[in-house]
Amino acid sequence: MAEDLIRMEKINKFYGRIHALRDVNLTVRTHEVVGLLGDNGAGKSTLIKVLSGAVPLTSGNILIKGRKVELKSTADAIANGIETIFQDSALVPQLSIARNLFLGREPIKGGSFLNRLDQDAMNASARELLKRVGITKDIPPETPIAALSGGERQAVAIARAMQFDSELIILDEPTNNLGVAETQGVLRFVREARDTGHSCIFIAHNIHHVFQVVDRIIVMRGGRVVADDIDPKHTTIEQVERIITGEELLHAITA
Amino acid sequence: MQQRTFLQSFVSKPEFGPLVLLVLELMVFWSFNSDFLSLPNISNTLSFTVELGLIALAMTLLMTAGEFDLSVGSVFGFSAVLMWTLFNSEMMPLGVAFLVAIAASLLIGFVNGWFVTKLNIPSFLVTLGMLLVVRGTALYVTDGFPQRTWNAEGNLFANVLAGSYFIGSFRMYMSVIWFALAAVAAHYVLTKTKAGNWIQASGGNPNAARARGVNVSRTKICLFMASSAMASLAGIISSIRTSAANPNSGTGYELEVIAMVVIGGTVLTGGRGTIIGTVLGIFILRVMRNGIVMIGVPGLAYNIFIGAIILGMMALHSWLERRHNSGV
Repeated sequence: MAEDLIRMEKINKFYGRIHALRDVNLTVRTHEVVGLLGDNGAGKSTLIKVLSGAVPLTSGNILIKGRKVELKSTADAIANGIETIFQDSALVPQLSIARNLFLGREPIKGGSFLNRLDQDAMNASARELLKRVGITKDIPPETPIAALSGGERQAVAIARAMQFDSELIILDEPTNNLGVAETQGVLRFVREARDTGHSCIFIAHNIHHVFQVVDRIIVMRGGRVVADDIDPKHTTIEQVERIITGEELLHAITA
Repeated sequence: MQQRTFLQSFVSKPEFGPLVLLVLELMVFWSFNSDFLSLPNISNTLSFTVELGLIALAMTLLMTAGEFDLSVGSVFGFSAVLMWTLFNSEMMPLGVAFLVAIAASLLIGFVNGWFVTKLNIPSFLVTLGMLLVVRGTALYVTDGFPQRTWNAEGNLFANVLAGSYFIGSFRMYMSVIWFALAAVAAHYVLTKTKAGNWIQASGGNPNAARARGVNVSRTKICLFMASSAMASLAGIISSIRTSAANPNSGTGYELEVIAMVVIGGTVLTGGRGTIIGTVLGIFILRVMRNGIVMIGVPGLAYNIFIGAIILGMMALHSWLERRHNSGV
């Protein structure tokens, strides 16, 4: 039985008078890919921002493997093993793949005074990593991010999260604006991440993409979690759509 | 991605355009007046080239991190005034006065950086305000009059900083050596070090950099301090060379320095910078200033040429950028 990796308890978030999250409870187990669905304004983004340290919560607890944590910044979340990949925003376009992979944790050689980057070591591990996430094309690690396609950028971001042993990788709309082949690539990286021991929260408007890759679906509506144990194998896309819009009675499928 | 020939990748480098322009410029001036490449003229050009050049090196790092500093011209004037005022009033020896001036400039840079990073005010506004404060201070404490500097004759410290020596018939200024060392150090920092990676990341995508644990604010504050300190050093060297510490000197230098940096291929919006390009940009503008006088164009027409060069180089860089983005 998989244990709980992340536990969010009674999370509330107010933006001024707007009650964006209402007593949200959410659990992500180890080795699990969870799909987080909901219409615009359902509270998905706020929940993810809270979990990635981007905005503070108003009340509630976040536990990682049973230990209570406070996530005051994105850097805090990353230090606690939670890596969030927003489309296009996680990488520095002017820097090379290798330098992005190691940004903030650059290996140094020849003493701290010289501060010299160990470029060879960075390139070697970058090649290794790109292979691990299944990039078969031969892309040199010195290539700047700006020269990569959207799917390749996602791959680099996922590779970085895997490299630095993030236990939870949050993917916010990773398949937006991607072509069919690139989307398949990203979904493959997600499976690869799970198979190597990571958990993922996968957020996408396209339910078809979510269905292809997740173990469990959570649906939010009006700042609440309205369903948190939907098994994609025993549910149809149409049923999930009706839960998202509020037309379906939940107990019909979750019971 | 196909392999490109050496020539293709050389041409697509941001430094290629400035290099061609500089060579062209040298050839044109030399063909008009053969004295242009005479040893005394080279030595003379170098001596005033490197003073602005020192500031441009630090400005390149700052601009790569996505900020710029308009107060460098006023710090250039203020530091020299401060050092000579302290020295002339016999309060302290020249070396100590120098350290005080550098410390004051570091403080100015720190305040700039603090306003930009902690209060989130654009560097244009912060450093514009600082320009006025510093220039105003220099004018106020001197009543607008230049300070005496000729007491420095034979002063060891002044000689090490800004003296000159003859190598054969070539007059070599110490400042040229300081500039060369600073250029090598800045290039090393920007391209080979962890700090350089942080500088580029701070300008390229500050939020992503912050999320990875890069201290963007500290990086930028350090660069504002470096820019200010370089302006101070340049102002002091210049005052020793010209035997004048004028509270008005350095007026307009900020724009000339920024022009040098962007002509060299560093992007105004941050993320990408090149020290080699900046060195070329420094020489392009300073050789132009010297050259048009030597071939008989009125010196007052200088700005027309500078403006044309900036517009031309920006057009070239944007063309290269579009070519680059379309994968050619």
